[in-house]
Amino acid sequence: MSSWDDDETAASAAEAATTDVELLKRAWRNEKAAPEVLRFDSPLVSRVREQIQLLEETLNDFADSGVDDLVVSLYQMDLDRTLFLLRSYLRLRLQKIEKYTMHISRSDDLLSRLSPQERRFAKSCAEIMEKHLEQSVLSKLPYGYDSVTRQSLSSTEDDMVPEPQLDTFVFCKTKSDVGAFQLDDIGEEVVDLVADDLYVLRYKSIKGLVEGGRIDLI
Amino acid sequence: MYGRHASQLLKEIDSSEAGQLAPFNSDVFDQVIRECNEHNSQFQSLIRKMVEQNLDIETTRNEDHYGAAIHHLSLLRNKRCLMAYMYNRAEVIQSFRWKVGPVLPHDIQEKLHFSEKEYFKNHSAAIKSYISKMDIDLTVDMVPPKDPYIQVRVLEDIGEVSLGDHSVSLTKNSLHFLRRTDAEQFISQGLMEEFLE
Repeated sequence: MSSWDDDETAASAAEAATTDVELLKRAWRNEKAAPEVLRFDSPLVSRVREQIQLLEETLNDFADSGVDDLVVSLYQMDLDRTLFLLRSYLRLRLQKIEKYTMHISRSDDLLSRLSPQERRFAKSCAEIMEKHLEQSVLSKLPYGYDSVTRQSLSSTEDDMVPEPQLDTFVFCKTKSDVGAFQLDDIGEEVVDLVADDLYVLRYKSIKGLVEGGRIDLI
Repeated sequence: MYGRHASQLLKEIDSSEAGQLAPFNSDVFDQVIRECNEHNSQFQSLIRKMVEQNLDIETTRNEDHYGAAIHHLSLLRNKRCLMAYMYNRAEVIQSFRWKVGPVLPHDIQEKLHFSEKEYFKNHSAAIKSYISKMDIDLTVDMVPPKDPYIQVRVLEDIGEVSLGDHSVSLTKNSLHFLRRTDAEQFISQGLMEEFLE
């Protein structure tokens, strides 16, 4: 009967959605806890958006075929939660870009972590902020002191760009055994990272592990 | 003492509540700018004096050099304070776009400097452009959802509003059962509130 088939495809869509939703939840948690902007997971976001669309269509079908209200509201809540995760994920990233716009625009590595739309946003953000600061403050200052990124002509580097604090402490949980892990450059602090354990470490030390997916931020 | 007016601006930022803006202090701001230009002309004249005496600017260490250094450093401090003042206000203005929306209420607009009003407009446009390119509205759903529908009480007369496939008449003090995403925009503008028993 066609209604059973519809139920099955909807159920398997919901199941496939859970695994991707779990991935999205993980990406969202990492993004929330990390002080800098992380790599944009483009394939995950595309898949999640497809599944959201599928869920929305399923809900429309339910509305037409008069499925039980409870089932409808369960699917609706699932959809709402997934939508919230996606929106919050994108929003967190956008707000980080807003905050560190000049720093991000000057770093190719950071720019490469953004989606193409985010890159365009970062560029506009930096231009708009520069224009605002120039118009209100810098145009009135004497020559030699009117740079946005440097204090004056005698500064040897860009010393007026706000940067995220990479050595803040973060809570994290290992996914698998990492073994002895060196926390700093000198080799003085070495920590034994065992699977599924909770740690509080400086973000800078575990940056590589987060990128590789071997440790999750909480 | 040099830098005193500039620190007044910083104290203003420090004493305002998070997410709130004090009116733009153009008096103190202009005064700091004037100080900067004063410092600069003093600096230039001291340097000129040393050049006229045929002294090497890079290496000579006489009272003129130290005087010039103080003017230079005071100028830098004033600049840092001015930039910090504008930048911190700009960050609060950014947060308004997320909390309040693309149009600012009149009482906030009064507190903004002309350049800040432009900044808000341009920044809002950048966000809007991103939202339309991604085809997903990021200004709703600010709080994790508990229920898909919530009960709301209307605080002010809004009139007929079409939500989805039907229209609702939102008169003052009426209770409605709306979708959360539809109600959110009214709640954030203060026209509705969630009705909790």
